[in-house]
Amino acid sequence: MIKDEATLNVMVDTISQFVKERLIPIEEQCSENDQIPHEIIDEMRELGLFGLSIPEEYDGLGLTLEEEINVVFELCQASPIFRSVIGTNVGIGALGIVIDGTPEQKKKYLPKLASGEIIGAFALTEPDAGSDAASLRTSALKDGDHYVLNGTKRFITNAPEASVFTVFARTDPSNKGASGVSAFLVDKGTAGLSLGKNEKKMGQWGGHVCDVIFEDCRVPADALIGLKEGVGFKTAMKVLDKSRTHISAVCVGAATRILDEALRYAMDRKQFNKPISDFQLIQAMLADSKAEIFAAKSMVLETARKYDLKKNISTESSCCKLFAAEMVNRVADRAVQILGGSGYIRDYAVERFYRDVRLFRLYEGTSQIQQLIIARNMVKDASRS
Amino acid sequence: MKILVCIKQVPDMESRFRPDAAGTWFVEADLAFRMNEYDEYAVEEAVRLKEKLGGAPELTALSIGPDRVLEPLKKALAMGCDRAVHVKDAEVQNKDPWQIASIIAAYAKDQGFDLIFTGMQSQDRGSAQVGGFTSELLGIPCVTTLVGFAYDNGTIIAKRELEGGARGVVKLKSPALVTCQLGLNTPRYPTLPNIMKAKKKEIVTLAVSDLLKAEHLTKTTSFHPPAKKGGGVILEGEVPDLVNQVLGILKERTAVLR
Amino acid sequence: MKTLLIGEYREGTLLDSTYELFGFADQLGADAALFLVGSDSRLPACNCPVYLADAVSCSEYAPDLHKALIVEVVAKEKPDYIVFQHSSYGWDLAPRVAAALKAAQISEVVAIQEEGVFEVCCCNGKMRRSVKSTTAQTVITLQTGAFPLRQSEGNPQVIEVVAGSPGTMEFVGYEPAEEKGVDLTKADVIVSAGRGIGKKDNVPVIAALAKALGGELGASRPVVDAEWVAHDHQVGTTGQTVAPKLYVACGISGAIQHLAGMKKSDFILAINKDKDAPIGEVADVLVVADVLQFVPAFTAALGK
Repeated sequence: MIKDEATLNVMVDTISQFVKERLIPIEEQCSENDQIPHEIIDEMRELGLFGLSIPEEYDGLGLTLEEEINVVFELCQASPIFRSVIGTNVGIGALGIVIDGTPEQKKKYLPKLASGEIIGAFALTEPDAGSDAASLRTSALKDGDHYVLNGTKRFITNAPEASVFTVFARTDPSNKGASGVSAFLVDKGTAGLSLGKNEKKMGQWGGHVCDVIFEDCRVPADALIGLKEGVGFKTAMKVLDKSRTHISAVCVGAATRILDEALRYAMDRKQFNKPISDFQLIQAMLADSKAEIFAAKSMVLETARKYDLKKNISTESSCCKLFAAEMVNRVADRAVQILGGSGYIRDYAVERFYRDVRLFRLYEGTSQIQQLIIARNMVKDASRS
Repeated sequence: MKILVCIKQVPDMESRFRPDAAGTWFVEADLAFRMNEYDEYAVEEAVRLKEKLGGAPELTALSIGPDRVLEPLKKALAMGCDRAVHVKDAEVQNKDPWQIASIIAAYAKDQGFDLIFTGMQSQDRGSAQVGGFTSELLGIPCVTTLVGFAYDNGTIIAKRELEGGARGVVKLKSPALVTCQLGLNTPRYPTLPNIMKAKKKEIVTLAVSDLLKAEHLTKTTSFHPPAKKGGGVILEGEVPDLVNQVLGILKERTAVLR
Repeated sequence: MKTLLIGEYREGTLLDSTYELFGFADQLGADAALFLVGSDSRLPACNCPVYLADAVSCSEYAPDLHKALIVEVVAKEKPDYIVFQHSSYGWDLAPRVAAALKAAQISEVVAIQEEGVFEVCCCNGKMRRSVKSTTAQTVITLQTGAFPLRQSEGNPQVIEVVAGSPGTMEFVGYEPAEEKGVDLTKADVIVSAGRGIGKKDNVPVIAALAKALGGELGASRPVVDAEWVAHDHQVGTTGQTVAPKLYVACGISGAIQHLAGMKKSDFILAINKDKDAPIGEVADVLVVADVLQFVPAFTAALGK
């Protein structure tokens, strides 16, 4: 649902200019230095990007999902690392508080997350709990008016830059399943919280990921989101529909950029006295990518609209994530092929994007997990009738 | 203090322009539109002046055209203008610069603006006439091609960009109209929160028929791409002859050796 | 048909572009008279009336005053066309004159088409419009370089023009251009060095041509990688993308990475020993010659 088309167009236009003038020119430098300059992050703050999905009453922009998706399509024309900076504040890092936080928790964190004053991180994954997230082992044992956290979280995006962590820990040791897990808001600097070394990743250099280690880390009882134990995992699941749709939009934006790079190259590059865009085998690759991007974009918009109408999109959002993540990887692969030898060379954005987009099939629920969700939902829905 | 900034909406200059059925302008369907780049500098300068004066001046943005011009008007509001005036005109592309200027002058004449900012030209038509015409119609002084602007209590110090990068410095008094050159400042990105806040700012709609009394003075008879460049020329021979040939070609086909 | 040409004078010099105005009048087949705020020590060579106002008393920039003087001369000469250069002086002054005369203005003319129809640029120079005036008198501004420079011998018949009231603005003076770092994207002329120049010691030869043309030095990637030129001069995929009015490629073969960075230039001149070099595909003129022989000779000829 688009509440105000002219206003949305001004927003999208602004993001588009910002991407072209500020982000794309420094992509390569950010990748080579594994660092996004502070000035750029400050500009992203000023633009209001951190508050895309936080409600207006907490100083966010309160965009509908369809409006947010349109902004994401534009923003993700630049390297995914920039979206990654705001990703946790816009998605999983803040939404848990939005959905299940107490008024005090919302007031304490949401305005600062919306302004980007603090960056949030989402600490769910562990060395032994990836797809099987519900089996996580980090424990949170009640001790007077505190909880004591012990355990290790792995591959936590933005952990090195984060000021607040949404941590999923088991409060009920006798319950090994999802309902034994609770969610906590833990501030950086809390004694007993430490960070591991930044991981050396295949791509998305400039975005940082590391372990978050809890060793007898004491957090006050009011750090429990919603002040209710055993609800945390459900909270995380509620957020996923929206965040999967969002990540699908990221994939569509990236794919659009990658195809554009490949097309320009194909029009410039001459072999056998012709631009290679004249050759049918190249045209086939361009066309396949174009059609798939269109399909993914249409799915994402349709899903977002349905969400804004308050309908259940659990299956659709998984379909989007499954399709879009796999699609952008095929688009990247074809783009490298179109560029030929140059596609293997770091000077070309296509080479970097190829490595960057591999992650989309893996995080926020692997493609295989999406398949399981979709199939199970199909059976459940069919069994009801 | 009252300030007016006049903005135009133009298509993205990266677009491919195709002549319309009448052959006198481009087809608008499928074009993406944006604020004329020169006008961004004008809005930015006007907003900076307002900020420098503690927010006191009332800053109005004006644009003429169909409903799509609400977008650059909203952008101007989000950048810091207080209110906007939309002169509604579905056929704005058929008005020549004289008519456009007379519409602006008709609106501005009783409003008591101390300063009027415009871009020095539009990226699509590029006639660089509207600013000058408007100032003459209003009987106020005008300086064009600004790359520097300072205002103090009714006195303007303007720096004009001249050929070769030199500047001409001019002093004048308000009320006045200034036209802005690229590079006058760095236009801010309207922040998303400001874009949202702009929704609450007033946009007044006026009918162009209420303001336009002038006839057009020029007529466009054709809109077309330039004649195709001939294929490349290969020159061989002795160096002195080659030098003369190249000098001749450059003089004839480029403006570089003037 | 009669034209009143508005000449330009700046800091003690009559600008050469004034002669393009005569070139236009010739093409139009019209008689010309000239109006100039200048100096009797710098008169144009022409056989026509020259209405001369003194630049010292009238100021080089006083558009309301200059407009008033031009309007007086127009009343006397009754020209069909009042012609300015589309320069920082001309585009500033022309609309004021047009408004005062209630005359149509046609800006940045690149060609004369049929009777009373002029071709102008639009859409950032990508397209053209044919425009016709509907008024008896018309103000025209000419795109720089679109019309030939026409000088003729002759003695101008000088008619002195004296200002009545002073202007409402004060011209404070000129400020010189700032020294800036290299920004190839803003240069009108770029002269680039490629591997064909041979060695680092030959870079000054190319730089000298850039200077003679009033442009910037560019470079292809191999030259930058070899550290003959600094990276901020690099044109191409990993350097800057440029579209100047004139691009001169010296000893550059035209690899796709370089072409991608400069093929949108308005006019491309390439100098290369190899007639079949790929740069020839985008060049308007390919000079088949040794860069180290052609470029110095060309630079010297420019100096004359």
